[in-house]
This record gives sequence, structure tokens and C-alpha cells, in this order.
Amino acid sequence: MNCSDWEERVALHAGGDLPPAEAADVERHLRECAGCQVLASGLKQSLALLKEAHDEPLPPAHFSAVRARVVAELEQKGRPLWRRAWGYGLAAAVVALLVMLALQPGRTPERRPPVVAARRLSQPLSNVRGSESTSEPRTLESGTDPRHPPPHRRVARHVARPNVPATPDPEPLIVKLQTDDPNVVIYWIADRKRGE
Amino acid sequence: MERMKALALLAMVGPMDGSEPSESALEAARAGDLAAFDLLMRQHERLVLVTALRLLGVLEDAQDASQEVFLRLYKNLHKVETSGNLSGWLYRVTVNVCHDAQRKRQVSAPVEDAAELPSLTADPQRTAVEAERRRALEMSLRMLSEKERAVLVLRDLEGLSTEEVARALGTTEATVRSQVSKARVKVRDFLERYFRRRT
Repeated sequence: MNCSDWEERVALHAGGDLPPAEAADVERHLRECAGCQVLASGLKQSLALLKEAHDEPLPPAHFSAVRARVVAELEQKGRPLWRRAWGYGLAAAVVALLVMLALQPGRTPERRPPVVAARRLSQPLSNVRGSESTSEPRTLESGTDPRHPPPHRRVARHVARPNVPATPDPEPLIVKLQTDDPNVVIYWIADRKRGE
Repeated sequence: MERMKALALLAMVGPMDGSEPSESALEAARAGDLAAFDLLMRQHERLVLVTALRLLGVLEDAQDASQEVFLRLYKNLHKVETSGNLSGWLYRVTVNVCHDAQRKRQVSAPVEDAAELPSLTADPQRTAVEAERRRALEMSLRMLSEKERAVLVLRDLEGLSTEEVARALGTTEATVRSQVSKARVKVRDFLERYFRRRT
């Protein structure tokens, strides 16, 4: 057996990697072989140099720099995810709200021209109010626009004109706005000037 | 309040000596507690950064690799099922990340030029002789193959047992012994030739 056959075991012995029995064999060989003694000495010396060179502690700033970078990246990755979720939620809520508003029938303004009919009041406003409350709401067929039949109107405008002849002081024009809700009736009283 | 929380986390993690963290610290980190994860990093930063530095030889590269290792740790905390194997997991991932970095770096900085890169801890006060010796030692590690260097760093510089090195690298103890013996001989031969030529 020549020395090259011992090289691996000498190298392992230099690092303390051999079990006791094999270590004893190597030590016996080293006592008899000058070449392997040089090899073993060189191995131990180079290992000692390597360890010494790498034993020097690193400045703490090098470690904290890594930690800071990791934490910053984790925060950066976490934040957009949360923000994205929040942003998507907000956007979905806005879209849902817009869709609801668009589909809500009561909110859709009719494009038809307003139907306005006027009739002179034949009785005081208080009586009109009273009669309206006990009878069916009047839809003034005579005053409706033939292009737009009344059943689909959302707001029918009733204008009452008095049947009495015109007096020097014209009576006010009363416009009754009837909504879909029978409980909600709006009266609009406008002063009429002579000649109007 | 924050101080109390930090102290509680410190108690969970234990001493900053690289020993394994408690399950509660890992649990807290798994639950997304960045403070708990920060303390886990503090406990293992020496292991990761120093190993990366020994494998790569350049501080900036080692810091980049360490950052990647800890980000992978955060992502895979659920895979580290018990606190007892965290160090082994970190060694394995550190070696893998450093190997990836070396392969990328070879495109821009060939191995033979690596010795020209800045030394580990450039110190202006260091004598020329010591600087030369350090440079030689650095170069001797760079002469090794990827696997030989990893085995030598883990076994001789990190002080892991042959069994631990084999587990960290996913290989057998026989392979570790073969590679570490070759690596030691190569380093010794390189240093002997280097200093003989210089003198």
C-alpha cells in the first residue's frame, strides 16, 4: 500500500473524522511515513488557518441590514395585498351602488315632456282639498297630452281653474301635483297677473 | 406595551446563540407576527449570513443570499414542522441559495476572477502579510467545487458533524467524508503552492 492510499484517511484524521480504530491505524502509519507526516502537518495547518480567518466576528450592522431588508420586503409584500383587497372591495361597493341606482325604477327620470293642464278653481282651495280627499284623484283627461297616455305617468299634474268669469283680481293658479303615492299630493299656488 | 411584547417574544425564542426556537415562537411567526419572525432571524442570522459569506466570499452577495433565505423561511414556516430541524433546514436552504447565486455570478464574474473581489472584511489596518494570507485562504476555497466547498464550510468552519452535513446537503455520510477529505487536500495543496511561489 503506497501513501496515496492513505491520503483520504490522513485528511479525515486531520479533521477528526475517523472512528478510534481507523484513527489508530493512521497514527501508526504516520509514525512510519515521513511523506504522510508532511501531508498531515500541512492539512492541520491549512485547516487552522482557514478556521482562524473565518473566526473573526462580523459587525452587527451587517446582520441588522439583512433583517431590515427582509422585514421591509415582507411588509411591502403584505401591504399591497391588504390594500389591493381593500381597494377591490371599495371598487365593488361603488359599482354595486351605481348599478342599484341605475336599476331603481323610481330614480329613472322620464324623458317625456311634462303634461300640464290647468283648470280654474270653482271652489276655495280648502274645498278642493276636501273633495280630493274623499273622491278618486282626478286625472284631467281633457288636459292630457294625447301623445302620452296618463296611466304610465309617474306624476300627473292637476290644475284647477275656477269656473267663475274672470274678475279684475285674478284668482291664483293652483297646480296639483299627484304622485304615485296617494297620500302625497302637492299643491303649487301661483299668483296670476292680469293678461296672463 | 411594545416593550413587554418584545420581552415576551424574547422569552419564547430563547437565547440568541443559534439554538432552536420554541414552538410558540414558531407558531407566532407562522401566524404572521413579524416581531416574532424578526426574533427568529436574530437567532439564526449568524448561521445564515456567515455560512453564505463563507460560501460566496463577498459580503454583498452573502447579504443578498441571506435575505433570500429568510424570505424563503417566512414563506415555508409551515414546512418547518418542529423547531428541532430549523437549523438543518436553514443550512440546506442557505447552501442552495448560494449555489444559485454562484451560478448566476459566474456569468458576470468568472471563478478565476473571484479572488479579485473584495475580501471578507477589508481592514486598512491589517498588515500586508495578513491581507495576503487572507486572500490566499479565500482563493483556496474558490478552487473547490461547489459541493466540496459546501462540505468543507459546514464540516470544518461551521463545525457540523458528518451526519448533520449529510442531512443538510441531502447526501450520505460516506459521500461527505469523501468530499471533505478531497477538499482538505486541495486546500492544503493550493496554500502550499501559493506560499511557496510567494517566498
